[in-house]
Amino acid sequence: MSDPINCVEAEERLHDYLRQELTPEVEQQMRAHIDRCRHCFQHYQFEANFFLMLETRAARQPCPDALRKRILDLLRAEARRG
Amino acid sequence: MAEPSTAVRSFDKEALPHLDALYRVALRLTSDPARAEDLVQDTMLKAYRSWKQYRPGTNAKGWLLTILRNTFINDYRRRKLEPVAMDLEAVEPHAIYRDVEIDDPEGTFFSKIVDDKVTEAVDALPPDFREVLVLSDIEGLHYAEIAETIGAPVGTVKSRLFRARRLLQAKLYEHAVEMGYIKPRET
Repeated sequence: MSDPINCVEAEERLHDYLRQELTPEVEQQMRAHIDRCRHCFQHYQFEANFFLMLETRAARQPCPDALRKRILDLLRAEARRG
Repeated sequence: MAEPSTAVRSFDKEALPHLDALYRVALRLTSDPARAEDLVQDTMLKAYRSWKQYRPGTNAKGWLLTILRNTFINDYRRRKLEPVAMDLEAVEPHAIYRDVEIDDPEGTFFSKIVDDKVTEAVDALPPDFREVLVLSDIEGLHYAEIAETIGAPVGTVKSRLFRARRLLQAKLYEHAVEMGYIKPRET
């Protein structure tokens, strides 16, 4: 079976593939290409590690408790005012 | 008119779970914890006051982020000279993958970079690029949701994301070389 996408196209679509923004058909083609192509698989891992870093390192800061409480108090006061 | 208690309950249930995300986005937009707190507080008050306009069960996170973003642009954005996005959109940033594909093709150096350095690098991005990257790659919004939030076509979102990611990777690569996480490329 011939590969419906080449390495250049695969590279262009890596981010959209990782962010799950592709149509099911193209997603399937990407998965098949990456399984088959060692070079694109490595590049895929590179971009996956980049996204993983952002998700784990930059998405950890929670809203401070003091701010949460201040907002809740404000909303309650607002609710009483009607 | 709805009972205030009902309004409060639905607001609590649908809006409050997104406080962490709102705070994080506010931090990245303002690069200043005190201003971020004010921005989140203003956003939540505005959201509460216009809660009637929110349709229950739709995308509350996107709705809140739109309010946060508009509040930021109108009241918080510093009107200093910032890089013009048009110019930046005309150039194609360097692809770092080409520099590391021999020594670290899987990008393991990303995992060595500490939290503060990651957020610092994000904060150094031009505002228009930073905004889409934060909404997409940190908060997990879909491209279409971001387009709606910032009032721009999906194509613009995608082109800004492409550049934002490359600029960020270049910045993190420089840092990784400085720290010795990765060998500098041979020139």
